[in-house]
Amino acid sequence: MLTRSTIMPSAGKTKRKKSSRKRSELDSALDQVTDESVAASMKEFQDLLAQAKGDTSELIRQNAQELEERLVLLKQKKIDKEDFNFFVENQKRDLRVFVDSQPAQSQERAEKLTLHILEIAATKIVPVLIMMI
Amino acid sequence: MNPNAAKDLIVRNAFLCAAAVVITSCGTATFSKTGSDAQIESLRNFELAFIDEFAVPGKRFNAAAFDTKLNQGNAKFQQAISDEKFTARRPVLVDLKGQFDADAAHLRSKASRGKVTPALASEMKKDVNKIYDHALGR
Repeated sequence: MLTRSTIMPSAGKTKRKKSSRKRSELDSALDQVTDESVAASMKEFQDLLAQAKGDTSELIRQNAQELEERLVLLKQKKIDKEDFNFFVENQKRDLRVFVDSQPAQSQERAEKLTLHILEIAATKIVPVLIMMI
Repeated sequence: MNPNAAKDLIVRNAFLCAAAVVITSCGTATFSKTGSDAQIESLRNFELAFIDEFAVPGKRFNAAAFDTKLNQGNAKFQQAISDEKFTARRPVLVDLKGQFDADAAHLRSKASRGKVTPALASEMKKDVNKIYDHALGR
């Protein structure tokens, strides 16, 4: 779910709220993607990652930070796709307990900012980054 | 002894016995928890040493040495699970064993093909530390 604080409706289009955060190495890489067929996934991923990195839960922030670092390692060819998928599975295993332990009303958000981001990264972002290498 | 005084004595003694049982069981629980935490730390150290030994870029893969260490690890985890006094901790140990199995499988696959990188080793150790910290409630 995209929250009001991140996405603001404007003349029928969604516009990203100006963010004070610095452009990361990963943002710079993803911004080079011009293919419209993957642009929506990129944008969803970048928005969710930004939300996760600013979340109040340390576990959500830590997960987002690790995911970003590992995507950068993949882009730099310091780890390969097999390693990346292995780490994603580790993260998912660790996070499932956390998501299940959240109150019912927070579970959907927690899942979106943890397991869902990992899923988008593995299925949508990694193939794009690999093509860029 | 007057009957009231005897009754008071019985009640007081019963209370003292109950308090003693509670205090002793708390002490035992704390002691067992400390022992259980130490066991988890021991498993963490074993797993980190395992990664240090086999996730070495450029090192020739020694399947026999790997299997020996893997068998040691399996035995250590099984022992820890069966010795665990805290029944609530057993699923945690089972999860840690699952992580050890996953690490060993990935390490074998990468090391046997000479595909270990320094980043792989350091990220694996980072995950191990994080998962063990969570297991210890940190």
